[in-house]
Amino acid sequence: MAISSPSTGDLLVILRHPPHGSSWLREGLDAALVAAAFGQSVSLLFQGDGVLALAKGQQTGPLGQKGTAATLDMLSMYDIDSLHVEETALERFGLEAKQLQLPARIADGDSISHLLAGHRLVLTF
Amino acid sequence: MASTEIARHLQVGDRRVALDPEGYLIELSDWSPAVASALAAEEGRVLTPEHWEVIEVIRDFYSRYEASPAMRPLVKAVGLALGPEKGRSLHLMKLFPDSPAKAAARLAGLPKPANCL
Amino acid sequence: MILHILNRPPSSSLAYRDALAAMAGNDRLLLIEDGVMGALTSQVRHFQEIEGRLFALREDLSARGLEGQCDASVLVVDVDGFVSLTEEADKTVSWF
Repeated sequence: MAISSPSTGDLLVILRHPPHGSSWLREGLDAALVAAAFGQSVSLLFQGDGVLALAKGQQTGPLGQKGTAATLDMLSMYDIDSLHVEETALERFGLEAKQLQLPARIADGDSISHLLAGHRLVLTF
Repeated sequence: MASTEIARHLQVGDRRVALDPEGYLIELSDWSPAVASALAAEEGRVLTPEHWEVIEVIRDFYSRYEASPAMRPLVKAVGLALGPEKGRSLHLMKLFPDSPAKAAARLAGLPKPANCL
Repeated sequence: MILHILNRPPSSSLAYRDALAAMAGNDRLLLIEDGVMGALTSQVRHFQEIEGRLFALREDLSARGLEGQCDASVLVVDVDGFVSLTEEADKTVSWF
């Protein structure tokens, strides 16, 4: 799969929360899907603890709670393929880009602020 | 989203299938082709092979992604599975007038698509 | 210019770290609610790199009895100043 990651678009959704611990990640993904369903160009930035949303091998929670891995796989069906992941956060968790569930462009240094500047609307979750 | 409020029942052969206020199945496991035909008959539709192949695509979508698709991803999924001729909103509008994503999800025994007004 | 708004204190939340990582050279950061605790002289070191672009909401400082301990480097604004900052910005981004 090619990594297509324009740093501009209608909406940037910043995902800062890991899967399972709260509903923030799911709500952020839902916001992205709604916008995409209405034809907006959407980018995602996985930042801080949110980079764990991209870890491979996620499953349902101990009480059977739905995870977000299936939703991540669905993003491409909504044409959401501009995915970005914060480099320092990946390093913090010892993750490498090639270990992620989906291809994402590494966001380092100034590229995060460029992403924010390049989108008409920015939502943090 | 899947609702748990039973509004009425649909008689399918000797089984009574519970429906929510908008006519979606309460128990997704109640679905069978006979249920789909009965739901379609309620709407005055007869399911053709072209309907069935879309129902199969949308059920496959749900099993893969755990969610019913909105219109755009449904068009995309149909296009990927059945070819570009059928992967067009016009084709789906003809099969399921008004709101193809909702109508197809209902007939396929899936929850109402969440991202679709 | 983007106005970033932070409502968590650096003493207990790392939201400020994500906010700083996302700020461009001319962006501004406004501390509100519990975020104003970051404006205290004992805490403001966390925001060294954006000195001159760090704001704190007066109403939230005074509600907490902290106005007197706010560092001199922090630009204190009232609610009207908050509105002006918002108007001057291309957009706002919230961190929590």
